[in-house]
Amino acid sequence: MSGEASAGAGPGAPEPWGETRVVGKPLPRIDAWERVTGAAVFTRDLTLPDMLHAAVLRCPHAHARVRRVDLAVAARRPGVRAVLGPDGPGAAIPWYPDREGKPTSRLLDPDCRYQGEEVAAVAAETLAQAQEALAAVAVEYEVLPAVTDMERALDAGAPAVHARGNRQGERFGYSRGDLEQGLAQADAVVELTTRSACSVHTPMEVHCSVAHWEGHQLTVWDSTQGVFAVRAELAAALGLPLSSVRVVSHFVGGGFGGKLQLSKHTVLAALLARAAGRPVKLALSREETLRCVGNRPPNRLTVRAGARRDGTLTALGLEALGTGGAYPASATSGLLVGDLYRCANVRTAHDNVHVNAGPGRAFRAPGVPPAAFALEQAMDALAEKLGLDPLELRLANLPTGSQTRGLPFTSTGLERCLREGARAFGWREARARARDAGPLRRGVGLAAGMWGYEGDPRATALVTLLADGSATLNTGAVDIGTGTRTVLAQVVAEELGVPLERIAVENADTGTTQFSPPSGGSQTVLVNAPAVRAAALEVRRKLLGIAAGELHAAPGSLRLEGGAVVTAAGRRVLLKDLAGLAERVSLVGVGERAPHPPGKLALPFAAHFAEVEVDVRTGQVRLLRLLAVQDSGRVMNALTFENQVHGGVVMGLGFGLTEERVLDHATGALLSRGWHDYQLPTALDAPASIDWLPVDPHDRECNSVGAKGLGEPAHIPTAAAVANAIHHATGVRPLEAPMTPPRLVALLARARS
Amino acid sequence: MLPAFAYARPGSLREALDLLKDAASAPLAGGTDLQGCMEDGVARPARLVSLAAVPELRGLEVRPDGSLRIGAATPLAELAAHPAVRQRHAALARAAASVGSPQLRNQGTLGGNLLQRPRCWYFRGDFPCARKGGGTCYAQDGRNARHAILGGGRCVMVHPSDTAPALVALDAVVQLAGPRGARRVPAGELFVGPERDVRRETVLAPGELLVEVLVPAAPPGARSGYDKARARGSFDFALVGAAVALVLRGRSVERARVVLGGVAPLPWRSRPAEQALEGRALDEGSLAAAAEAAVAGADPLAENGYKVAMTRGIVQRLLASLAAG
Repeated sequence: MSGEASAGAGPGAPEPWGETRVVGKPLPRIDAWERVTGAAVFTRDLTLPDMLHAAVLRCPHAHARVRRVDLAVAARRPGVRAVLGPDGPGAAIPWYPDREGKPTSRLLDPDCRYQGEEVAAVAAETLAQAQEALAAVAVEYEVLPAVTDMERALDAGAPAVHARGNRQGERFGYSRGDLEQGLAQADAVVELTTRSACSVHTPMEVHCSVAHWEGHQLTVWDSTQGVFAVRAELAAALGLPLSSVRVVSHFVGGGFGGKLQLSKHTVLAALLARAAGRPVKLALSREETLRCVGNRPPNRLTVRAGARRDGTLTALGLEALGTGGAYPASATSGLLVGDLYRCANVRTAHDNVHVNAGPGRAFRAPGVPPAAFALEQAMDALAEKLGLDPLELRLANLPTGSQTRGLPFTSTGLERCLREGARAFGWREARARARDAGPLRRGVGLAAGMWGYEGDPRATALVTLLADGSATLNTGAVDIGTGTRTVLAQVVAEELGVPLERIAVENADTGTTQFSPPSGGSQTVLVNAPAVRAAALEVRRKLLGIAAGELHAAPGSLRLEGGAVVTAAGRRVLLKDLAGLAERVSLVGVGERAPHPPGKLALPFAAHFAEVEVDVRTGQVRLLRLLAVQDSGRVMNALTFENQVHGGVVMGLGFGLTEERVLDHATGALLSRGWHDYQLPTALDAPASIDWLPVDPHDRECNSVGAKGLGEPAHIPTAAAVANAIHHATGVRPLEAPMTPPRLVALLARARS
Repeated sequence: MLPAFAYARPGSLREALDLLKDAASAPLAGGTDLQGCMEDGVARPARLVSLAAVPELRGLEVRPDGSLRIGAATPLAELAAHPAVRQRHAALARAAASVGSPQLRNQGTLGGNLLQRPRCWYFRGDFPCARKGGGTCYAQDGRNARHAILGGGRCVMVHPSDTAPALVALDAVVQLAGPRGARRVPAGELFVGPERDVRRETVLAPGELLVEVLVPAAPPGARSGYDKARARGSFDFALVGAAVALVLRGRSVERARVVLGGVAPLPWRSRPAEQALEGRALDEGSLAAAAEAAVAGADPLAENGYKVAMTRGIVQRLLASLAAG
């Protein structure tokens, strides 16, 4: 529906929608056919004429110095067209900047700090030839002692991952009020320490880049979440102007944060392609993706929480230890402890250490699911100590703004998430009927969550209405599998009344589309949809101007629907029959996303409710049901919304129940190298029904479409809710994630004896 | 990436055995384990000899006396779905049904499931471990949450098969054929522990094939079952598995077989657990006693102490379900 400028959703933003006709409906994806038939070309599927295949030689040791690399024999192997070693052109490109932006390594670094670090690369006619050539590379390593356990990284005498030590920067943190005083004021205090394992993103599509040079122009097809981010980093790495680098990412098989940044393999593909004078494809193997392109860092979190008898929180403390791996990467999050609940006395302290393991990357709400696992179990324990229902304890401490940033929220759906969720779940009844005898124990748990990133509002979109009444949408946003293309096309359809099937979307190509920040941080819809809406509204204004003249009506009296203009009197004129449109050939609208509302934060909230059955004989957990209640503002498409919730919840079950990267402590070798040993949850690990309940606070201030983020908040509370349900069922606190049968059966056995 | 190999597809057992005389050849049945072994460099055959067209390896028959003859190339899915197997040899049907995933059960065969290589991540990884001819078992002092609590020693791998404990419990016999002729081996003697030979898991000689499995008829009063605990709902090997075959006379257990999987380098027959059951009624007391007896002598490693409790739990759960009928 139409809208004029108002102050509601930020300066210059159009009036928020009321009722919508297309937006919000459960519409199948506009590219569903391509996806289900296999016609969609992902980067991994791409083949260019004369394309070579590249492979990377990786350090087999967790810590070693490369003394010598001899590529001469490999370069002469059949089919080999280019080789690159630590002395080759581009090998010294700086890599892994620290917090101050200073590089800590280089593209091919003779100092290898984890097993799998890049040593050399080869491009050949076939992948088999490239791998054969790698086997012919002679490398002399000086093997160094390694440390893989973050809790030992700061021990005296621990092997140094970097010359300057194993600390990633100084301890940092946040404080308000006085934690100790707050604890002293409390009627009940709990302290617990959780540990969560390292998990890996494992998107269905492996990381892959195809590089192609035409003169000095480089085009890279990349499986990425952000084509503009990759372009900026790649141009800087290669010393090229932005205009010489084009990055394209049409279909992407998942990212989860692991594809937000430029990866080494992309630069290697570009360098090899330049050396060979031919296009080069570098697709990582699944095992390589489990080693080298990021992970969710392991955490050890100690939470102290205190509250008065009535449930009012008086103190929250967090001591966090994490490791971003061998190179700088954030490892822990203070978001929830600082902002999820109203609390006067808060202190957090974060230590981030180096170990000889693959570097971390942003992973679906970086650090927050582990923090929810700790904080929400502490809240449960506190409620138990106070004799309060865990729901009531949370309701007694609802925030209205970010206390760490001193800004009010545009809307706070947390209360509704908790209350409406509890009602829909039957929380009180389910708590009462928990079974605590016999080998199969039942219990329920809940956990709350929020996400703290409001998005990068710099996005531009183009909408073009064509003479025949069809339309195109041009946006730089990547659709990483969440339905972005569909949701953004719905915005165009909403404003122009053009049927969805007559809208073509061109996206995620820095050569042809407009700037958009990466699809991550739960910002894709809330950043891009308002830009698209602004562009569509510009087209709408132009179109209504033309139609009003031809139909002798006031523009405000006309409606756009079904590909036609409809007058107040009910007269329908198809857009293609508008002479003015035919004459103009096309109407273009340029839309820029309005800035965020000044002085406020628009953030999403969530509460998850779980019911489990635990077999106390074996420690096996069965999820009976899970309800995800999400305040993500407006539901833009009920189907893609549901998809996001399902994905977030199942990934949360993976974090909470099954997934764990395993390293050999003696050698630092990765042991969980594939799908057998790195265990994703299966369909049978998810409840038969993952229920979802959107809570829309009708936020008129957050942005012009009223949507907040969803991808991350749908994932944050899941594991914590399951942990609390396991505690409710069994009486033991599962403080280690994943809460595998081995860990649980051991806990239960200990509790019995 | 799979290394290059030659391929042959013999049409008879004799032809297959001839081809397999070449030590660089490896038999290929379902291939679900072999492919992983080749990718991991654990197997490096120059030639794969497909068993797909060998008629002697096929077929699942119930003989007039109630015994079963199961061709080694019978897909696990077929075994799991076969009405007579499900009714009279439930342990085997249940075990077959709990292997991997539906795709793996359609593709994987009974013979392959019995002869699969260890899943130990050191064995499959880049470690020159004892089983690969090196001097060290890296799991012994390494990451050993999935390793043996019984019968370890020079190698603490666990036998990964679900069907092997079931066949041992059912007193099955396997028929082997090789360059030196055919022989029959009781299922319980098919497997080789690390103290006897750390380089192999079975008594199969080079060039020898597993042709068929013979399961004796279930006597009157027989009940059997298989249960396993795994780290996720499907598509996973047993952390602990147990096969139990009982013969009941009235309420009393006349004969018991209790065989564990996932806890030892070979299917682990627990005579103490059997003794705890024989001559007693299936009641809470005998169940608990059998569960306790099953872990007698267990010697857990640093990370797998949980398997003691889990083994008790699985044995108890399985016996309880058998007691319930």
